[in-house]
Amino acid sequence: MEGKKVLVVGIDGVPYTLVGEYVERGYMPHLKAILEEGYKLHQMDASLPDISSVSWTTFLTGVNPAEHSIYGFIHLDRRDYSLRFPNSGNVMAPTFFQILGLDTAGKSSSLANKYLPRFKEPRTSIVVNVPHTYPAYPMNGVLVSGFVALDLARAVYPPVLASTLKRMGYVIDVDPSKGHRDRAGFLEDLFHALDKRREAFDLFFKGKWDLFVACITETDRLHHFFFDAALDEAHPYHGAFVDFYKKLDDLVGHFYDMFLERHGGQGFFMILSDHGFATLRKEVNINRFLEEAGFLKLKEEGERYERIALGTKAFALDPCRVYLHYKDQYPLGEVGEGEAESHLEELTDLFRNLRNDDGSPIIRAIYRKEEIYQGPFLDDAPDLLCLPVDGYDLKGRIGAGTVFADSVFAGMHNQHDAMLILPEEKDFGDKPQIGDLAGLLLDHFCGEDL
Amino acid sequence: MDHLDQLESKSIYIIREAYYRFKDIAMLWSVGKDSTTLLWLCRKAFFGKVPFPIIHIDTGYKFPEMYEFRDRLAREWGLNLIVGRNEEKIKEGMGPFKGSKLECCTELKTNALKQVIAKYGLKAILLGIRRDEHGIRAKERYFSPRDTQFKWNYEDQPAEIWDQYKSKVEEEEHFRIHPLLHFTELDVWEYVKRENIPIVELYFAKDGKRFRSIGCVPCCSPIESNASSVDEIIEELKISKTPERAGRAQDKEDTYTMQKLRALGYM
Repeated sequence: MEGKKVLVVGIDGVPYTLVGEYVERGYMPHLKAILEEGYKLHQMDASLPDISSVSWTTFLTGVNPAEHSIYGFIHLDRRDYSLRFPNSGNVMAPTFFQILGLDTAGKSSSLANKYLPRFKEPRTSIVVNVPHTYPAYPMNGVLVSGFVALDLARAVYPPVLASTLKRMGYVIDVDPSKGHRDRAGFLEDLFHALDKRREAFDLFFKGKWDLFVACITETDRLHHFFFDAALDEAHPYHGAFVDFYKKLDDLVGHFYDMFLERHGGQGFFMILSDHGFATLRKEVNINRFLEEAGFLKLKEEGERYERIALGTKAFALDPCRVYLHYKDQYPLGEVGEGEAESHLEELTDLFRNLRNDDGSPIIRAIYRKEEIYQGPFLDDAPDLLCLPVDGYDLKGRIGAGTVFADSVFAGMHNQHDAMLILPEEKDFGDKPQIGDLAGLLLDHFCGEDL
Repeated sequence: MDHLDQLESKSIYIIREAYYRFKDIAMLWSVGKDSTTLLWLCRKAFFGKVPFPIIHIDTGYKFPEMYEFRDRLAREWGLNLIVGRNEEKIKEGMGPFKGSKLECCTELKTNALKQVIAKYGLKAILLGIRRDEHGIRAKERYFSPRDTQFKWNYEDQPAEIWDQYKSKVEEEEHFRIHPLLHFTELDVWEYVKRENIPIVELYFAKDGKRFRSIGCVPCCSPIESNASSVDEIIEELKISKTPERAGRAQDKEDTYTMQKLRALGYM
């Protein structure tokens, strides 16, 4: 079936504001040309929280965390306070490429219920390096998993392609710990990984597909370690930072041109990031803050959350997912249903009054779970979710000595400054949300089969 | 047949079938309760004399009680014991405190096992893993190919690889066979009791603590318990809600994931 085609380029952690600035400065000539050809750059809201695994899963499934069940990179096992690391197997809603392939592996969602009946023919997708798709699973096309993909053999569907990628020296991920030991070497790794992504995209681009999702994750790593170099021309790595964006721009231009050429100037093209980035000033250890406020008690024994002791009323998981320590859910829990409301009110006040030395607020938004999540996995949601003012990176670390701490990182995620580039005629009115895009992509294919 | 008879005969059937299909086979014995139970079943399957080698991967960090127990049983049961050690890395001082726990496991367990498999040309390994041991082992199969060259049915593959000894599939061609897969932790203890299988004393409480799962000294911690006999352990398990591996360092993939996340500032 030679029908409509869609190309999506994902760039992890690239902020709207910086892209605008770089286009303006002439660092991204290909992007500038695309924008002049009838595309618009939007500022977009990431998922809540603005963690890559949550945001990309929200993008791929088009539903909120209470439907897809992913709230972060880590999940606390309420039976014994041990940590769990959700992976693709824990995503409870089908992705748009599973819906397009007419095989949702037994999963359903509000989005799937809406769109599945509209398609009669399965469409083929190629999805490369999107975070939280590991381990790769059977789908109609090719899936190469992104972060946190640990083993190439399990990161590729169909598995036979793993050896092809291995032969080309495909880089499944850079080693982020190198960023702490050898900054120059880490930068080299990022450039090298970007080359390998491009090679892999090129390889798969030649095949037959209806939807292609190509994701770059090196931008996020670059930002964590070097975001302060983005606009500071005196920064020793400013030149390298800009060069990376130029290389990225070249990659985007290359695939955009190939896409239009191949499909006679037709097709739906989209670029998005999963969250924005800001320069990091201080880390804010939320669990330390809860300890000082008397909500969290820690014992000496155990690791991380196993240290939660009797008397704990609330604790936080990264970045600021605050959970009440309910007595019917946790072995040492002590909050009864009747007390929840007063604790939530007290916590809200505490967060509202969390201030920097100069008296300026740290928290810009506080949400109750019912306000922002709806779905069958609402029980796993944090009771409160806080968003910080740019510059203050909220952390769920256990056992930190102080609330405010200097960071070894240069950049932090933010929720409000993700980016989106879409054809001008796709108008959202309000600010787009990352969860809106799956429906938009599926809409594009609708009508063909009837 | 009662419940334990059924479990036993299923395991023995798998062990015999495996030996029939793969002559170049060996059993991996960690000296823990599960693989010691498996060893017992192998003896039963072949009327007291195990016809294949028993591999123990020695990291050099095991509990002294485990070495003593291993050598005693090897002697008493006439085992063909192969001790696999990554001598090169042990000499270099590899340990959980040098580098990461993951690196340590990779070198001293995975690579040591790889060396043994290569040296003896083994085509299959019997392991004592159980389905209830860890959530990610839930989809494991009795016969599990570990190479893309074997036609693997991807949909039937585990959603997570359970295996502490997992090595790159391309470099390793062997089957892993899990005759104990259908036992639960409680089944193992009840079977140990019925058969009077010898078990390392670390499992029994001393001064209010005992090990529920054993391995290398630096990566195991005891649980609070007063269960000092098999009967008391069985009673304790019937009321326990804590997962068995709670006292152990995170499993390998989790450890790797955690390292990656930490390097990016999470946790």
